[in-house]
Amino acid sequence: MSVFLLQRLGQALVAIFGVMTLVFFIQRLTGDPTYLLVPETATQEDIEAMRRTLGLDQPLLMQYLDYLGDMLRFDLGRSFVQNVAVTEIIASRLPYTLQLAGGALLVALVIGLPVGLALAIWRKHRSTNVLMGFVLGAQSMPTFWSGILMIMVFGVWLGWLPPSGSGSLSHLIMPSIALGLLSMATYARIARSSVLDELSKDYVRSARARGVGTGRLVGKHLLRNSLIPVISISALEISQLLAGAVIVETVFAWPGLGQLTVQSVQSRDFVVVQGIVLLGALVTIGVNLIADILYSVVDPRIRKGDGA
Amino acid sequence: MMNKRKAARLVLPIALSLGLALPAAAKDQLVVDLVNEPATLDPHQQWNPDSYYVYRNIFDNMVTRDDAGEIVPQIATEWERVSDTEMVFTIRDDVTFHDGEPLTPEDVVYTVERITDPEFGSPQLGQFNKIVDAEVTGENEVTLTTDGAYPALLAQLVKLSIVPEHVASTMSSAEFNEGPVGSGPYVFEEWDRGVAVTVSKNEDYWGDEGPFETVVFRGVPDASTRVADLQSGNADLVVTLNTDLAMQVEGSGRGKVLTVNTERVAYFPMNASKPPLDQADMRRAIGYAIDRQAIVDGLLGGYPQVVDQMLSPAHFGWAEDIEGFDYDPEKARELIAGVEGADTEMELATAPVYDQRVVQAIQQMLTDVGLNVSIESTDMATWLQDQQSSQEQAPMLTFSRWSCACQDPDGIMYPLLHSSSNWSRVDVPEIDALLDEARSELDQEKRADLYAQVNRLALEGAHILPLYQAAIIYGAAEELEWQPTSNESLFLNRMSWSE
Repeated sequence: MSVFLLQRLGQALVAIFGVMTLVFFIQRLTGDPTYLLVPETATQEDIEAMRRTLGLDQPLLMQYLDYLGDMLRFDLGRSFVQNVAVTEIIASRLPYTLQLAGGALLVALVIGLPVGLALAIWRKHRSTNVLMGFVLGAQSMPTFWSGILMIMVFGVWLGWLPPSGSGSLSHLIMPSIALGLLSMATYARIARSSVLDELSKDYVRSARARGVGTGRLVGKHLLRNSLIPVISISALEISQLLAGAVIVETVFAWPGLGQLTVQSVQSRDFVVVQGIVLLGALVTIGVNLIADILYSVVDPRIRKGDGA
Repeated sequence: MMNKRKAARLVLPIALSLGLALPAAAKDQLVVDLVNEPATLDPHQQWNPDSYYVYRNIFDNMVTRDDAGEIVPQIATEWERVSDTEMVFTIRDDVTFHDGEPLTPEDVVYTVERITDPEFGSPQLGQFNKIVDAEVTGENEVTLTTDGAYPALLAQLVKLSIVPEHVASTMSSAEFNEGPVGSGPYVFEEWDRGVAVTVSKNEDYWGDEGPFETVVFRGVPDASTRVADLQSGNADLVVTLNTDLAMQVEGSGRGKVLTVNTERVAYFPMNASKPPLDQADMRRAIGYAIDRQAIVDGLLGGYPQVVDQMLSPAHFGWAEDIEGFDYDPEKARELIAGVEGADTEMELATAPVYDQRVVQAIQQMLTDVGLNVSIESTDMATWLQDQQSSQEQAPMLTFSRWSCACQDPDGIMYPLLHSSSNWSRVDVPEIDALLDEARSELDQEKRADLYAQVNRLALEGAHILPLYQAAIIYGAAEELEWQPTSNESLFLNRMSWSE
């Protein structure tokens, strides 16, 4: 068991190292941020001085070694633009992204699961076509469009919700819906196929034969069994939500990591981008690591296969 | 305090969500939507509009410009040029910083030393490094010495924010950035990272007090969202709208559009080191081919003003009698017929921050007279680097806009027309000589005349094409009374609220 764990851990470390190396070099391929940091009137000397301050005058290899050294000391560095520790910047943004991802997941589950269930149970009914159309429509709308549409309707015309910003539950509603609609369709489809699968199984037939009604059948038997794939897809959806948040956060001025990513990439704030990517890598690799370990706990074949 | 705040956080959104109008008493809190949150509140660091919109209210400057654009006293009450290189400033003696300490001439000296210290690494160094010495030379008196005669000194001091020595010298710039202490009409309260900066009124301000108790500056990157904030009453002032959104605000009857022609000049540099642009007739043809009025009226809502010199009316030295190229495609075609290699493909460099409709319109106008122009769009950092590279590497054609935030010709014409500047595509010894002379000419009339001569020469040889004086468009609540200024600042204590 411990050998397996160590192996997995080692693989995870290598992967993180790879990601960090890639992001370091790819960013530096895109050019020099110094020009964005000085006023247009800056002279060549000003630009050189700024480059020295940022440490960008060093040879690339030196910069890379410095960077690796800092990583080993868990020092993510300071933002070029804001001159604030990257950990501090990310820590201030992370809670907002988690709130938004949570809100979106809730929206996706609360709408997506019942819709999927309905699509499966009444699959021969014509009205389900309308429902399917709704699901596809919601998924097809680009968030920058559906977001602005919602802002116009609920923020400006009806005045029910604040059009942008953060700070209260009412601020969270529109961005959560805009983001959640994307995943909703995925959940609806997964739920539908998984329920259909279950419906064809023997225990359902025998339950029906015993005279169990549809409501009880769904509530007591079907739902539980069909939830397994839904849960495993959630892990994937979370990374989807984080990616979609980039646009939603910009439209709704939601101060999360997505917005920070856009701003940092635009201003070539390498250090902040590295921090965000590191966080993303840690989350993704961490989740996979946990999943691997859980699988091996559940299924000894995996453990043995690797240990041999 | 915390409880009240928490209660407000709970009750306010509920009230809002129920559609209840809050009582419209005196305006306590103004909400301003910027594009992004400030990069810094240390006024000697990063220098971009989202930062100085905020910190120019926290700090006083050495001098300032009134709404008419004239340089008027702020921290310095009067000034006298005692020699070609020395200027004596009398410092106001009734100013206190937000922590209660008085502002002294020593603070002014410290400020100059801080921003000009190469070790400090201020991105604004180039604007102040002509000042080689600052000294307290009497009671409430500071003498600044410049490296040679420097007529643009006052224009630069408009941007010199005075910082307290007893605070700034005891901490790093990063620490000062987190708790800036100034002497301005608003006091820094809180910076909720990524969300908003809050400032509150300085009750003891020596000058005109601000009309609002608190002001919140938020970062809202999407322009449509800023307009929605304005129209729903969630913001009172929003910055940087394009003409489409401005029309939307005007048409909706909710909110109004405030606009001003800034000192930002849109211009069209041509790389004379590369054929066929080395022939003056080719450059002239381009001058005749671009219909600037059509761009202004058709694409920019008619707000900007077409200019024929590398200045705007907001600059010192603007000459009334300079006439440039009128739109005349026939003449352009005639000139092109006599140019060798006129069908060479020329790249027009641009970056996404520039209005792509304008760039495409120019490309179309040049294509219409038979030229072969392709648009090369790069990201901003690459664009900036290309612009500042050698003549051989620099793009052939560029659409660009320039502001020195100093309203002085030296800040725009020297970098764009003098052969020694990275930005300049012009290499004309006569122009260089005139620019050098103007740079140290202290007689204002003579100085203005020198710049007018440069502009005439530039037009004659079509060395660079001035296009228009760019406008900046704000959206504001109906009740907000404010006259935006050409230097793109949001001075809160010059605003008022009418019920």
